[in-house]
Amino acid sequence: MSPRIPDTHAEAWVLLPWLANGRIEAVDREWVEAHVATCAECRAEAAAQRMVATQMNREGSLLPDSAATDEQRSFNKLWARIEASESLAVPVAGTNLTPRVARGSRAVRWLAAAVVVQALGLGALGMSSLRGDGGDYKTVAIPAERLGAPAVRLVFEPAASINTINTLLTHQGLTIVSGPGDAGNYAAVLSANAVASGATAEAVADVLRKDPNVSFAEPVAR
Amino acid sequence: MALKSVEIQAPRAANPLNDASERELLDRIARAKDQAAFRTLYGNYYQRLSRLLARMSVRHEDIEEVINDTFWVVWTKASDFRGASQLSTWIIGIAYRRALNALRRAKLRPVSDQPFDEDSISVGSTDEQENNQQWLSLGLERLPVEQRMALELTYTLGHSCEEVAAILDCPVNTVKTRLFRARETLKQVLPALAGMSGEHS
Repeated sequence: MSPRIPDTHAEAWVLLPWLANGRIEAVDREWVEAHVATCAECRAEAAAQRMVATQMNREGSLLPDSAATDEQRSFNKLWARIEASESLAVPVAGTNLTPRVARGSRAVRWLAAAVVVQALGLGALGMSSLRGDGGDYKTVAIPAERLGAPAVRLVFEPAASINTINTLLTHQGLTIVSGPGDAGNYAAVLSANAVASGATAEAVADVLRKDPNVSFAEPVAR
Repeated sequence: MALKSVEIQAPRAANPLNDASERELLDRIARAKDQAAFRTLYGNYYQRLSRLLARMSVRHEDIEEVINDTFWVVWTKASDFRGASQLSTWIIGIAYRRALNALRRAKLRPVSDQPFDEDSISVGSTDEQENNQQWLSLGLERLPVEQRMALELTYTLGHSCEEVAAILDCPVNTVKTRLFRARETLKQVLPALAGMSGEHS
C-alpha cells in the first residue's frame, strides 16, 4: 500500500517546525519539502521558524561561568541524599557504594553530643532558669503527631550563618516549626515533596549530622 | 511577515550521547549502582533540564530541587525503565511532571509574568540579532507553559513531534496544535520587531 500523500497547505504548515529542526518523520519529509518548494507562504514561514529556532539555541548557549560549579554542587547534594537514604536500607550485594558507619554506634555518638549540647545550654542559662521540667529540649518536645509530618530536632553550630542555615533547610526540604529552645534547638518538619521523594526523618537527620554547621540532629520519634 | 531567512544552526541533538550509550549508563546504574555512570548521566542532563525548567518559570533557586528529585527517580527506578521510549524522553518527562506538580501545588512559586514592556527593548542597538532575541524572549513569556514547552523541546532540545508528545504526555495532534498556537502568538510580537527596526534604522 502506498503511503498517503496529503499534499495540502494546512497539513504541511503544522509540520514546518520539525522541518526546521530536522526531525520531521521520513514519511512526511518528501511531500512537505515538495510543497514548500512551490508555496511562497510556507517558505516564508519555514524561514521564520528557522530564525526562532536559531535564536532559542543562541540564547541557550549563553551559560553563566558558574554553571559547571553549580552542577557539581547540586550533584553532591543529591549524592548525599542517596547515601543517607541507602544507609537505612539493606545493603545490595555487589554495589560499589561506600560502606556506612553502623547506625547504632552513630546514634550513641550523637546522643552523647546531645548531652554535651544540652549541658552547655543549661550552663549558660544558669541554675535559676531551671524550672524542674527536665530541660530536655522542651520547646521542641512537640508530639510527632502534632507536627503532622516526619520531623527532626536539630541544633546548629553557633558560627553558622542565617544564609547557611536557610540553604541547609531548603536542600533537605525542611521547615522550622518550633524553636529556638533554651539550648538553641529547633524542630523542623519535612515538606510533602521531600516525603514524596522518599526522604525520611532518619535519612535527613543522618545527612544533617555530617554537615559541619549542625551540631546535633535526631529524628523525632513518631 | 518581514523576517529574513537566516542560516539555521542545527538544534542540539535530542541526546548528546546517542541513546544506546545513555542506556548503557542506565544499565550500569540499575545493575551495579554505579556512581560514575550516574554522575555522567546527571551531567548530560543538568544544563538541558536547568534551561527547560527556567523556561517553565520555575524559580532559579528551585530548579536544583526539581532536577535532583528527577534523578532521585532515575537512581531508584533505573531497573524499571523498559526502553519503550528514548531515555531522554523518560528523564525529561519525569522532570516536566515534577515541575508541573510542584508549580500546581504552589510549592514552587512561578516567576511572576512580567508585563510586556516594549520600552525595555533597546531599539537603539545595532545588533539586530540581539534585538530579535529580546523580542523573542518577551514573546515566549506570553505563551502558556504548555506551548512554551512544546517550542523549547522542539527547537532547543531538537525533539521530534512524537517525542515531544511522549514527554508532555499528550497526543501528537495536541503537540501540533500547541505549536501552531505558539507560532500565531509569536507572530503578534515579531512583526513589531520588523516595525521597530524600520522606524529606528
